[in-house]
Amino acid sequence: MNLGTRGALTFRLGDYCFAVRVEEAGGVLDADRLAQLPGVCDPVAGVAAFRGEMVPVVDLAQYLGIESAATHRYALVLYRGPDRFALLVPEIPKLIPGRDLREAPPTDTDSELGDLFESVLENDQDQFHCLNYWRIFETIIPPASPSPGRNPSTERGN
Amino acid sequence: MPEPRVFRVDDPPVTRSSSPPPAVLVAFLAALCAGIAGTLASGAMAWIAIGAVALGGAYFASRTAAQPPRIGTDLGRVRRLMLLLDRGGSTDAKRPPEFTDEWAELYDKVNRLAMEAKSGAGSGPTLEKFRNQAEQAAALLREGKDPLVEVPELRAGPLLPLLEGVKGSASLPLVSHMSLGDEEELIGAGEALPPDWPKPSAHAASGPGLDLPELETGLQDLVKEIESLRGTLAGSANGEASSGADDPALRTPAQLVDAVVLTAADGIEDLAAGLMRANELASVAERVTNRATLLALNAALEATRSGSEAFAAIAEETRRLAEFAREATDTISRLSSEIEYKVGETITAIHATSEHAKTSLAQLGGTAPVPVSPSARKARVQIVRLLDRTRELLRRLGFSEGARSRTSESPNSTQDDVENAAPPADKSPTEGMLLIEGLKPGAHLES
Repeated sequence: MNLGTRGALTFRLGDYCFAVRVEEAGGVLDADRLAQLPGVCDPVAGVAAFRGEMVPVVDLAQYLGIESAATHRYALVLYRGPDRFALLVPEIPKLIPGRDLREAPPTDTDSELGDLFESVLENDQDQFHCLNYWRIFETIIPPASPSPGRNPSTERGN
Repeated sequence: MPEPRVFRVDDPPVTRSSSPPPAVLVAFLAALCAGIAGTLASGAMAWIAIGAVALGGAYFASRTAAQPPRIGTDLGRVRRLMLLLDRGGSTDAKRPPEFTDEWAELYDKVNRLAMEAKSGAGSGPTLEKFRNQAEQAAALLREGKDPLVEVPELRAGPLLPLLEGVKGSASLPLVSHMSLGDEEELIGAGEALPPDWPKPSAHAASGPGLDLPELETGLQDLVKEIESLRGTLAGSANGEASSGADDPALRTPAQLVDAVVLTAADGIEDLAAGLMRANELASVAERVTNRATLLALNAALEATRSGSEAFAAIAEETRRLAEFAREATDTISRLSSEIEYKVGETITAIHATSEHAKTSLAQLGGTAPVPVSPSARKARVQIVRLLDRTRELLRRLGFSEGARSRTSESPNSTQDDVENAAPPADKSPTEGMLLIEGLKPGAHLES
């Protein structure tokens, strides 16, 4: 079965397990010390430095309303073209190769997520929910309208 | 051992086995000689001479029959002199009537020597020499030998006239072997003995020679050591009460328990501080491990995304290394937590045990042993040494065990004080072996 991915970074948040396809993941960094930003809404935990760039960090648990008692957190950086943001996760994600994953049917919980739900992956032990994380980011920080003289394709470098 | 013969003044005089010729026989022999002379020379002068010879013979015969045997009188004088020597002389200026001429001179000399020896005026060696010669002569006489022949030294000594007088009476007992009541009767009932003059004993008469200057020196050293011991005890009583709090040997049991608990608590607190430092280092190692894990994850992510086998292999090794580091860090953290927990339990147990011990000691009350200062222990060891030395001096003075027991009955006896010194309540086994030798329990130490 072709999942369209080489693998996925999985992490547990509350009672749920989530997955990020490796094609979207730019890397994982320690979110022990985040730079706080003034005047931002609650799901934005701050900004972190990732490979020389400032990356906004979004608290996924707070956004989804899931209780998390983790004292140490990590930032999973996602990228899409030139844009990057990071998800604040309570544990170091695990890399599961694509050969160990398969597509699973959505559950009732996935239907509650609405348009945030994308797909469900599973291996022999767990099921992982794949979300449209960029939609979450855009609901928090709406993308600015492109300026007349700006060429997005040139800025991404693709 | 046969009982010595009891000698009395009114005993019949001892005579020789061969009695002297009677006066009639002597007069007869004198008349016979006069008759023979008269027959040979006639005339008035011859008869006068005959009469004179006869009268002289009769007088000589009468004197011979009236006088007691000389040997019995001399032996009595010798016995009185020996008794005088044993009693340490006589303060009575009146000389006994039987001591005349050379006997009077000898009596005065013996009395003077005995008095000087008694007063310690330095005549001890002379007196001892005299006593040795007398004992030597008496021993030879008991064996039936002639002392003047056997020991040439006696022929130049003061006993020469006495030994010449007693020659032939070796089977008779000496005064020193008489019973005490008979000696009193012999020397005179009205003469009081000095109260502090030691009683003669068989051991003293036959014991080793006395060296009075050495004994005097030893006794003086003994007095000095006893004074030093007294000073030590006084110093321990005055000065160590204030310093007892600093001396571990003088602490009470409750203070000792507190000291042990404080020492243990200090050590465990140091251990806890070390554990905290170890925990800090373990957290640093955990952060490093997290960094390594993140590095391995990012490497694996890039390798997966790029599809490079070589990159994937390096990422896999990095991941294994990070996993090994994490396992080690987790083990260190777990052990550190366990040790910290056990240290806390130990501290709690020590405090509980100390409280229990103090409660038990308080219930025991006065049955706990009283701590003894080191100076008191040292003083006790000195007492034991002094006791041994006193015994040695007493032994050299000729006191047997029976005589020592008689001496210890005196209320002012130093030996009695030392022997009755109380044993320490907390003496160690080694000290006990020393102290049991001479100390009696339940008595007091006056010195």
